[in-house]
Amino acid sequence: MNKTFNTTSAPHIPSRISVQKVMLWVCLALLPAILAHVFYFGLGIVLQMILATTSAYLFEWWCLKWRKQPLKPFITDLSALVTAWLFVLCISPIAPWYVSVVGMFFAIVVAKHLYGGLGNNIFNPAMVGFAVILIAFPQSMSLWLPPSELIGLSQTVEPLSFSELLNWIFSGHQQTQVDAVTAATPLAAIQTGLQQNYSLSEITAQTIFGDFGGMGWEWIANWLFIGGLVLLYKRIITWHVPVALLVTTLVFSTPFYLFNNDVFMSPLQHIFSGGIMLAAFFIATDPTSGCSSNRGKLIFAAGVAILTVLIRNFGSFPDGVAFAILLMNMSAPLIDRLTIPAPYGKKPGALP
Amino acid sequence: MVNRPTNQSQSHFHGGLVLRHHKKSSCDPAVKSAGIPNKLMIALKANRGVAAEPVVKIGDHVLKGQVIAGPDHPFGTFAHAPTSGIVTAIDEQPTAGSDASEALTITIKPDGQEQWLGTEHKCLPENRFEIIEQIRQAGIIGMGGAGFPAHIKYQQDTATIQHNATTLIINGAECEPYISCDERLMLDHPVEIIKGTQWLIKAAEAQQAIIAIEDNIGGVKKQLDEQLKQQQIHNITVVKVPTIYPTGGEKQLIKVLTGQEVPSGQTPLAVGVVMQNVATAKAVYDAIELQRPLIDRVVTVTGDSIKQPRNYLALIGTPFAHLLRLADCQDDVDKLVVGGPMMGYAMPHEQIGIEKTTNCLLALPKDCTKPEIKAMPCIRCGDCVKVCPQELLPQQLLWYINGNGQANDLEKAREHHVFDCIECGACSWVCPSHINLVDFYRFAKSELTYLDHKRAKADQARLRHENREARMERIKAERQAKRRQKTAQLADKDSAKKEISAVLQRIKQQTQETADE
Ligand code: SF4
Ligand code: SF4
Repeated sequence: MNKTFNTTSAPHIPSRISVQKVMLWVCLALLPAILAHVFYFGLGIVLQMILATTSAYLFEWWCLKWRKQPLKPFITDLSALVTAWLFVLCISPIAPWYVSVVGMFFAIVVAKHLYGGLGNNIFNPAMVGFAVILIAFPQSMSLWLPPSELIGLSQTVEPLSFSELLNWIFSGHQQTQVDAVTAATPLAAIQTGLQQNYSLSEITAQTIFGDFGGMGWEWIANWLFIGGLVLLYKRIITWHVPVALLVTTLVFSTPFYLFNNDVFMSPLQHIFSGGIMLAAFFIATDPTSGCSSNRGKLIFAAGVAILTVLIRNFGSFPDGVAFAILLMNMSAPLIDRLTIPAPYGKKPGALP
Repeated sequence: MVNRPTNQSQSHFHGGLVLRHHKKSSCDPAVKSAGIPNKLMIALKANRGVAAEPVVKIGDHVLKGQVIAGPDHPFGTFAHAPTSGIVTAIDEQPTAGSDASEALTITIKPDGQEQWLGTEHKCLPENRFEIIEQIRQAGIIGMGGAGFPAHIKYQQDTATIQHNATTLIINGAECEPYISCDERLMLDHPVEIIKGTQWLIKAAEAQQAIIAIEDNIGGVKKQLDEQLKQQQIHNITVVKVPTIYPTGGEKQLIKVLTGQEVPSGQTPLAVGVVMQNVATAKAVYDAIELQRPLIDRVVTVTGDSIKQPRNYLALIGTPFAHLLRLADCQDDVDKLVVGGPMMGYAMPHEQIGIEKTTNCLLALPKDCTKPEIKAMPCIRCGDCVKVCPQELLPQQLLWYINGNGQANDLEKAREHHVFDCIECGACSWVCPSHINLVDFYRFAKSELTYLDHKRAKADQARLRHENREARMERIKAERQAKRRQKTAQLADKDSAKKEISAVLQRIKQQTQETADE
């Protein structure tokens, strides 16, 4: 008769959404691009993924222990996996092993846990890791493999075998080998080319540049785009960031290009090379380090685009996405404060 | 994740959820009377008005329809005996409200005779004031949930604001899953609802009425439309609204139907709207045309623990246990909820009586309720922002209320409009981190209200203190002025001498007097 019931508060019915699922979808959406990466640049990225994921989880585990946080929900939330994969998509597939380890140290320990762990980081962890690498090991970041399309076209470049790859990553490489098997990233090639006073059209006439952005790179960008559409469809991200970022990149880089197309890249080249596509769908959309209101998101993404184009056009680093993201991360709280949306019943112009 | 169909013809409110309805099983069977339970527990609650005071004593025999509690106050509502019987207790009991909070409750042991109080036949009301008075005397309150005394909605405008209610909205859009009592009522009593609506139009002096129903209920619109056509009523229209939670929320429904937003902190009257639930319209018909006070209502008894979900016509005060037994409730109940699964209140036990606002009893077994997962930190995914019908920033509110390890910044939460939260729970429902966001907002609201109260009191005290200081200051100043005057006088030699000798004289006199005694 005197039955008693559970009196926890409403809502009483479950929804089947969890942080873990959100993160899982982000990883799944990254898969096509990763496969494309393997197709064009070989298995290097897989080795890097293993390296980065393992070190990310070791650091995560260690930090949770040290911060006296429960392992259970946090170690399984897959957020470290997302960080590791995003990082790996930015670095060179033949980077030496310590690049991933150091990158993950800064991503997980410094950017994430020192700021209070999941949900409290001001900076995007993967971008922090990548920026540190860019500054600390610029050399290894400019060494890339040539895309497989190119290998087919030329006799001088040989693809690396798997054991050579392992060797390369884990025990370093001899300088003599370097020129034989590596190629610069398109953006780095432009940077060095311009420094040597070549004009942009001369530089991009090289086969490596493909149609817009660079061989292989274009296709990875396309697959990232598809993955991004999946996230949009699953409503994990909204259209605001990708649209604002891509459109601003196009619009903002056009006048430069029209002004002097010998020095400044074309808008499409901007979009299809380097990290813009990754940023548009996977990094600037990171909710924790981005803006929360829709207007804020638009401003945030536009800011990333403008800074990226500026850094690419005038800065000393070949690609500016990472720094642009970090700079905007810093501005996000301010943007948020200035873009509090007017709630129902408080719209300007409504009745008193 | 969250899916919103688009509908072109009407306005939208922001956000919202598409939820599974779970309504059909309870809506299909016809309404059944719940009969007379072995006791009735009638809670006398102050639903934003003033609680009714009992006018009967323990041991009194009461007749069906007799007033058992009444107000001292124009905002109070009446309570009537739902059946004849003996008053066995008048004490504080848990009620079917938030936290099952206690309120004065009259317990009646029915005698099974169903003896009506013979009422003298009242004439039909002639003007709006008579309508409102009859509504008040019948103890009618908003039956949709908030329980706002119905007559107050119509009284306010005449007295205070200029009269501008042009539209009466009859809310038949029960957006919460599982609840089907309003739909059933519209299927069974279209004529009564329309007549009640006509009375309400008169009471509000509105130009038109809209009966809003959800687009997922089929037969209702046809039935109502037919009736309206037959009776050649042109100022009532039936409008379908998209079934998106919380479309039945007062503010959201007004936005959908009129495109206007009720200004923050004001009543719908500000945009010319009075809103009432369909069950209330039916009760108004009963009260005015049948002279029957509000003593029973249709309650949906449903949930996955209920073997035979359906709607019951239950006397006010019927204990949950009685209804659950009728509906063949299983033993596996984890949560017993009054109201819907999104905003309803979980009840601690089943010995509580239904109220005039109780539209649903929801019994859910363990595997249907939200598991108690440890909340993760907010990842600022923004899902709560996407669904919030009030266009707030729930995660930002959380950040301030939670203080994130720092001092609570409740005032910031106020700046972010926490008081505009309607506590619909949509944000909690979608949060991937399983944070029970609404709890935080409830906390912040009550905390801020308390602080305001305290501040107002402190302000008063300070004012009093300042006034006192000012008074003292004034007195001091006056005294000083007087003294200055005196010294000025003393400065004048002659008068000084006189003054001094006068004082000496006085002292002398006094010493003499004391010596004499
Ligand atoms: S839904 Fe939950 S996790 Fe996402 S932003 Fe809102 S509070 Fe944070
Ligand atoms: S409970 Fe409040 S904050 Fe949450 S969705 Fe509803 S109105 Fe918005």
